[in-house]
Amino acid sequence: MAERRLHKILSAVVKIKPGEEVLAVLVFFYFFLITAPFGIVKSLRDANFLDDLKVENLPYAYLSAILIAVAVSFHAKLQSRISRRRLLQSTLVFFILTGLLFWALFSTPDHWKGLALIYWMWANLFVVTLTTQFWFLVNDVFNPREAKRLIGFFGSGGILGGVAGNLLPGFLAKPETANRLLLAAAAFLCACLVVVSLIFSWLEKNEDRTASVPGREPKPNRKELRHVGLWDSFRSVSSDAYLRLMAWVVLATGIVSTFIDWQSKSVIASSPEANVNYVRFFGRFNAGILVFAFLFQLVLTSRFINRFGIRTGLLIYPLIILLCSVGLGIFPASLALAIAIKGGDKALSYSINQSSRELLYIPVLPEMKYRAKVFIDMFLNRFSKAVGGVILLGLIYLVKRPPFAAIGFEPLVWVSFASGVFVIVWIVLNARISRAYVREVKGQLAKKWERADEVVADRMDVDTAKLVVDAIESRTQSSTLFALHLYDLARQNRLSPEIRNLLALKPIEHSSSDTRPLFEYDASPWIADFEEPGSPVEMDKEIREILALEEYQKVIGEYAGKVLEDKDVRSETARMELAKAIGLMDGRSALTDKLDDLLGDDSAKVFQYSAESAGKLKKKVHVPLLARKLADPKTCEDARSALEKYRGGIAGALSDYLNDVEEKPEIRKQAASLLARIGNQEAADALLEALGHGPDVLKAGLIDALDRLRSEVSEVQFKDGVVRVQFAAEIETLGPAKNPSDLLPLFKLLGLVYDHEDIFRAYQNLLKGTKDSIAYAVELLDHTVSQDIKERLFPLLESFSGRRNAGSSS
Amino acid sequence: MMINKREKNSIVIFDIEGEIRRSDISDVTLHQLVKEQLEVGRKQILLNFDKVDFIDSFGVGEILASYISTHNLGGKLKLARISKKLFLIFQITMLTKVLDIHDEEASALQSFFKD
Repeated sequence: MAERRLHKILSAVVKIKPGEEVLAVLVFFYFFLITAPFGIVKSLRDANFLDDLKVENLPYAYLSAILIAVAVSFHAKLQSRISRRRLLQSTLVFFILTGLLFWALFSTPDHWKGLALIYWMWANLFVVTLTTQFWFLVNDVFNPREAKRLIGFFGSGGILGGVAGNLLPGFLAKPETANRLLLAAAAFLCACLVVVSLIFSWLEKNEDRTASVPGREPKPNRKELRHVGLWDSFRSVSSDAYLRLMAWVVLATGIVSTFIDWQSKSVIASSPEANVNYVRFFGRFNAGILVFAFLFQLVLTSRFINRFGIRTGLLIYPLIILLCSVGLGIFPASLALAIAIKGGDKALSYSINQSSRELLYIPVLPEMKYRAKVFIDMFLNRFSKAVGGVILLGLIYLVKRPPFAAIGFEPLVWVSFASGVFVIVWIVLNARISRAYVREVKGQLAKKWERADEVVADRMDVDTAKLVVDAIESRTQSSTLFALHLYDLARQNRLSPEIRNLLALKPIEHSSSDTRPLFEYDASPWIADFEEPGSPVEMDKEIREILALEEYQKVIGEYAGKVLEDKDVRSETARMELAKAIGLMDGRSALTDKLDDLLGDDSAKVFQYSAESAGKLKKKVHVPLLARKLADPKTCEDARSALEKYRGGIAGALSDYLNDVEEKPEIRKQAASLLARIGNQEAADALLEALGHGPDVLKAGLIDALDRLRSEVSEVQFKDGVVRVQFAAEIETLGPAKNPSDLLPLFKLLGLVYDHEDIFRAYQNLLKGTKDSIAYAVELLDHTVSQDIKERLFPLLESFSGRRNAGSSS
Repeated sequence: MMINKREKNSIVIFDIEGEIRRSDISDVTLHQLVKEQLEVGRKQILLNFDKVDFIDSFGVGEILASYISTHNLGGKLKLARISKKLFLIFQITMLTKVLDIHDEEASALQSFFKD
């Protein structure tokens, strides 16, 4: 009951699913309770530093970030040795105690000025450790899809904590007693300890979510996690192109952020409004930024990312910073611009950038993700500030000396323009990683299987197999038929040693029609005749010349007449031989007219050979005769094979059959399937048009034909508007889908207008049915299909994901 | 190409020797020789290919033209001792269904009496 009420409340602000409420709220408060002390700790950090060590020394403070490496290395070792629960709890206890120690030290009168630098380093360690641990936990318990859905909610918890944490110094701090606020920070951390305990208690009760949390069973990658140090993490990142790119993005972000911090603090330090009480100023300033960030995060981040994707999410932040930085280069004394650039940096980095960056980890395998996060999030994130500090020091040193000093610009102007250059580099890196992201998501979704018909076509030579089987069968029927098959095989260079052996294996039985005894005991001598060098080519030339002889046409014409007159079952073999032999002739030969009769023969075997010859001759006059046989299961396959050989020449005729309402449905279905095999633009247009007007009974066949055509001929274009209309109609008729396989027609339609491979990767992973495979499938579609399609399709997909969740937790 | 004529039991036997090809046409073709026999009333003809190394489509045309001429006059034309390869070509072109082909001259001669 309480959960239902909670669900109702949360549903108003976040897309939450049943069963997620308690955990989501706890994680929200976890983030709130670590970011609230951030506000206090960071306001004190900046104020103490500016008071005690002055703005000129700020670049040295940025440099101190290099010491973070030691802390990260230690943290990584700790992380691999103790459970996640103990790690989180002991870290919180460590920061509570050290926070109290700093309070005591700062409270002593005339404390050592260097303490401000030590405190600066501690504050940075505090922020980086607790933030990384938080995101570790989020990655442990939420799959990518869930994280993407809930990230706005968690992020707003963090920002709200930051607002609360900054309002305290903003309104309570007095210059002489500001450090007492560290007691409030410790109190927030104590509350956080309770929340972390509650989260792990909840996870214990809901075991299905805990499978991937280190320190719990089962832990498939525990062995690997045990040895993840900073060096291991660096090696993992450097060995993977995607993670390397991500590291460059973080480095560029950190450098720009350091520049911005210096730019804004330079203006703030010289501003009379700020230097009266730095703690209060930074408290209010940070609180203001975070209120903006909170509103942005709550209202816009998730919607923005869902609507425009990660690519735009990653670009909006640097673009705004670029504008502000150029502005500050032009108006260096503007406090408003200084506040805008710092405000923009913080607000967007806490909201859209943080969320987008976490999403970039989605396609990284879990074990790799943990390894990478140690280096990227914990070390590089801070180390980049040190790099920024070094560049800043070098730049300030340079611009104060000739020839730059002669130009007369303030260092702030130079730094602002340099900042602009780094932002451009950052934008380029962001654009590259967003492209790489989609590639990585696709990489995670391996195609599970190919279309069966494509596999058969790729891996087997169906025509040869058929020919060999027919040849073997013909040995017991007629030596003429057998010779015709051998000739066919030889002409097509298919008379391989294996096939020769196979054909020579069994003695030929006495033929009923041939009395010739010469080769009746063994097929080997015949086959040997095809083995002579150049034999098939010479023989082919000779045979074609014989077939063209006027005398030949006369003699065989008379013979064919007699054969066709005799419809007796006993003459079936003769008709088969004649049908096969006609296939060797030139289409202009009068003898080929005899196929008209043979295609209408009642014998399926005679039709088989007649259809084969019709396929070779490709005379349009035979098309209706072949089409008629499509309705008969005994002759359908042979008729299809023959019509397929006509290729594009009969697209119009097949289109007529397809659209002829008086034609048998079976023939219309086969016409659709044949159009798919023809695979040209005319066929595609005909199929799509029929889909718009055809009866329901043809719909599945038409969609399948379109899909087959698309998968085989990628260059064929389908009218986007027509496909979308059909997609909408298909969703309407589908109703509530019981199984993911019910959605196959929808995916087939999508495959017509989007990358066919991607769409079917997504479908196959959806069918696989694990929570993660569904999540990755949806993620890929999210980056592939348009918004209107997403709005119709995703509720159906999410329903499967939800059902799996319910199933796995029950 | 050389063609020798002999007779056995009133059956005209043409012993053909060498190659029957378009590029090697002699003054008198096989068909002309057959027609000469038909004109003098000899309607039972056997073509013996025992010493024939090669026949091209022209040669097959000669055989078929001879067959047609004989057949039109109600006569019989038979073939004996053709090569395996030619037999295979005749199989493929269905000519085995029309032409009467024998392994040996003796069996061919005997078959004239059975008809």
